[in-house]
Amino acid sequence: MLSLSVTALAMLGLGFASKPLYDAFCRVTGFGGTTRVAENISTETLERQIKVRFDANVAGDFGWTFKPDDVAMTVKLGQNALAYYTARNDTDTAIVGTASYNVTPIKAAPYFSKIECFCFTEQRLEPGEQVSMPVLFFVDPEMNNDGRLDEVKTITLSYTFHRVENPSADANTTIQRQAQKKKLEAIELKANTPQTIKTKTPITDVVPVTDATGRKDKQDTQGRG
Amino acid sequence: MATTYASADTDAHDGKPKFWVRWFFSTNHKDIGTLYLILGLIGGLVGGFLSIMMRLELSEPGLQFFGNPHTYNMFITMHGLLMIFFMVMPIIIGGLGNWFVPLMIGAPDMAFPRMNNLSFWLLAVALVCGVISMFLPGGAGGAGFGGSWVMYPPLSTSGHPGPAFDFLIIGILAAGFSSIFGAINFITTIFNMRAPGMTMHKMPLYAWSVLVTSWLLLLSLPVLAAAMIMLFTDRTVGTGFFDPAMGGDPLMFQHLFWFFGHPEVYVMILPAFGIISHVIATFSRKPVFGYLGMAYAMVAIGVVGFVVWAHHMYTVGMDVDVKAYFLAATFVIAVPTGVKVFSWLATMWGGSIRYSIPMQWALATIFLFVIGGVTGVFLASAGLDTAAHDTYFVVAHFHYVLSMGAVFAIFSGFTYWFGKMSGYLYNKWLAGLQFWLFFIGVNLAFMPQHFLGWQGMPRRIPDYFQEYQLLNQISSYGSYMSAIGVIVFIVWVIEAFIVKRKAGDNYWGEGADTLEWTLSSPPPYHQYSKLPQIK
Repeated sequence: MLSLSVTALAMLGLGFASKPLYDAFCRVTGFGGTTRVAENISTETLERQIKVRFDANVAGDFGWTFKPDDVAMTVKLGQNALAYYTARNDTDTAIVGTASYNVTPIKAAPYFSKIECFCFTEQRLEPGEQVSMPVLFFVDPEMNNDGRLDEVKTITLSYTFHRVENPSADANTTIQRQAQKKKLEAIELKANTPQTIKTKTPITDVVPVTDATGRKDKQDTQGRG
Repeated sequence: MATTYASADTDAHDGKPKFWVRWFFSTNHKDIGTLYLILGLIGGLVGGFLSIMMRLELSEPGLQFFGNPHTYNMFITMHGLLMIFFMVMPIIIGGLGNWFVPLMIGAPDMAFPRMNNLSFWLLAVALVCGVISMFLPGGAGGAGFGGSWVMYPPLSTSGHPGPAFDFLIIGILAAGFSSIFGAINFITTIFNMRAPGMTMHKMPLYAWSVLVTSWLLLLSLPVLAAAMIMLFTDRTVGTGFFDPAMGGDPLMFQHLFWFFGHPEVYVMILPAFGIISHVIATFSRKPVFGYLGMAYAMVAIGVVGFVVWAHHMYTVGMDVDVKAYFLAATFVIAVPTGVKVFSWLATMWGGSIRYSIPMQWALATIFLFVIGGVTGVFLASAGLDTAAHDTYFVVAHFHYVLSMGAVFAIFSGFTYWFGKMSGYLYNKWLAGLQFWLFFIGVNLAFMPQHFLGWQGMPRRIPDYFQEYQLLNQISSYGSYMSAIGVIVFIVWVIEAFIVKRKAGDNYWGEGADTLEWTLSSPPPYHQYSKLPQIK
């Protein structure tokens, strides 16, 4: 009877342990479209191109408008790309939100790496504030070696903002976001600039956002190596 | 039911306790079994009433009886939960299991009689909690919980602000722990209290089926309990296990639920397999064909049943490889199930068959279970399931395996052992009338639902397109017919107790060769004061 009771208790414990186990499982395998978090930027670029589509949702309509600046962009495998979303707080109170995310097709998730993303932290928007929020990502060149993904030409990255009822103290505010945005633009520009052609302009202020990301101008995107 | 015991007990503890002590503090496995049967009857009557109301609503398009569709959803939810936790399980495991597992293995009682008592009364508390929840504020401006028996969040968390679902969670937890204690009791009893000479490989198949079922309960119910507690804290103290805004994942609940939910369907059907093995063998006057294969087929079904759960979730957005695995693993279950079906047929082959009432129920069980099994193979294939998911095809499928497979086996076992339990024989004409009302009724009720589902009629919606009306009407008439069958059932039970046709020790003759037939009908209050020897 003791061992049977222990068995029952162990299964109960396993039920609760499933929470961290499931989290870890999703992160490791990309199960359910869970994307990777990359420590470093990608250093290798292949010619194969992928269209990345951007999707934005607000859960439960708490008075935010949230949209991608562009619905799609085309990147090469391994290219470090910067995409922007715009969020606006339409209410007259400050609201903290946090974004959940995944990609489809689900099998592409293990190859979708984010270096930096607004979804890693909570975001605080003041009343009426409109902000531009960057995500710096690359599609892992390893994907080219996975035969199951040969037919994948499009990956959709989806975000859903949720309202945070009990925000933590370190929610991103306007100032932090501006600093982060500049940092990301610098990383992205540097990563995508061929080593031989050093950029002449100071990376922090002059380069227009659209140019730096190559979102509007496909030729420019392809020109980078 | 069994309120009088004809045969005098020669044991020293001859006297039965007085009414209050006997039925409320009972530790006797047969009394507790009887209590379980009564509770199962009550659960089945309430659950059946809910289903008749659903069929009344669905007999024509539009809303007739349910002003608030939430109330309809509450009815389907409670119908499912009551039929599973408070009808099939109490009867087939708690009732018949308590009655006949100790008798069949030659044990004087269950291993832990007081825990047995606790199991039963926890279940009674659970039933009360469940029924109370139907009248408390739930969600969508109606009473009760309408999130279906699967209880997926966020509908069960943010979708039901009222206290109804909290009550239901407590009820399900109580029912779950009741079954866990019951499972521990059965496993201990079967491992330690078999009569001298009864090895595991000589143990009757019904005892085997209850053993496998108990292991399934022991391993799966704690996971349900964990999921229920997480739902409860998500609702009440603001945790976010299943809330994406807090980093949780509602899909994780589905994984936890079906990790319990899939073994649960075998919990309901394995004891049914055990019962009809005995009935088929008895009325074919042959030992069951392939005894060891039958026993280990149940073990195999139990083991494989734990690794197929996500076939209930094909449409949640799974990788195609994950689907392929769950598809293949699910198809594998058809193999041991096929072993069982063919062994029953082989048992009958060349046998001296008597079509008495239990045999009719058993044959109908096999026939209808196989139909449900075939549609199960349809649904196990991820591609087809994407089309049929959450349609009436699924409803038809699981009613063929449960409300015909499990429930017909319950009636088979009940008619088979009724004389043994009560000491009285039933009226054959009335019992036969009940069988035919049921057999025709449930087939009329559920066969059209295959077609409705394949044409795209969704589950859990009280209204439908005009085009579905004819088949829905047939289905409703079928359900009324089976409801009349239930009334006839109650009539024949009462009639048997009034007329008191005495049953002999072994009223089925030489085919019935398990130990319970060596005892009087009904068995003495304390049996096997001298343990039987098995050769």
